[in-house]
Amino acid sequence: MGLPRKDRIRAKLKAEDTTVRVLLSHPMHTGRAKNEAEQLIPAEFIQDIRCWRNDEEVLSIKCGTATARNPYFSFHLVGGKQGDKITLRWVDNMGAKGIAETVVK
Amino acid sequence: MAKNNMQQRRAILKGAISASTLALVAASGLLLPRQLLAHWPTDAFNAETVEDALLALLGQAEIADDSKVNFKVGSPPSYAINGASVPFQLESRLKNIERIAILVEKNPFPLAMSLELSPAVKLPIKSMIKIREDSAVIAIIRAEGKLYKTSRFVEVDIGGCG
Repeated sequence: MGLPRKDRIRAKLKAEDTTVRVLLSHPMHTGRAKNEAEQLIPAEFIQDIRCWRNDEEVLSIKCGTATARNPYFSFHLVGGKQGDKITLRWVDNMGAKGIAETVVK
Repeated sequence: MAKNNMQQRRAILKGAISASTLALVAASGLLLPRQLLAHWPTDAFNAETVEDALLALLGQAEIADDSKVNFKVGSPPSYAINGASVPFQLESRLKNIERIAILVEKNPFPLAMSLELSPAVKLPIKSMIKIREDSAVIAIIRAEGKLYKTSRFVEVDIGGCG
């Protein structure tokens, strides 16, 4: 765990659509890298990310170890209005969880 | 008779209560993550070839090549200095996209991520992946029951799958 982690999420209304950008804070260890002492670092990576707009589930992402460190995602949602609530939850293979929430601007 | 019925009713009620508590416990995440994540497609992510991964993930490997997809990997496109974080962008004119899978052919486990989209999601989608060595990166889109494949070759200076 170490340093406190902070997940960032931004959602903005552009023209007709909502742009959502997410930056999660996670080491995403693949289980193949070695530390300074030549020991394998155990795998630790986000497996499941789900995203809701208000109460409607819009996106579900399953990640393997080949998702880069501190995963970044950007996608668009059709329509939407200012004040919509965007919620994102993630779970990693160790059972750690995170939640990020924002309101569409 | 009435008493008997009452007892039966109690038993049913009790059963219902314990079932709903169990559901609550499961939903609140007190169970092991492995159980909760039963829907994480382990076989697909542990497959060592692109075909196996696709079969495990989508149950089919028959694919139509398509030009309606705009897929960029690396920056500048087709090149990455550091394989540990290679950006990609995927855009398409296809309608009703249900699922997207990103695979890196030469990675130890090719499947990098799999996205399930509701109709409310619109492309382009951007993210970052790890690439071990010079390799083809494949985007598979499933729209209206058909698979569309787009492939880009990427050169990597420093491999990123350590």
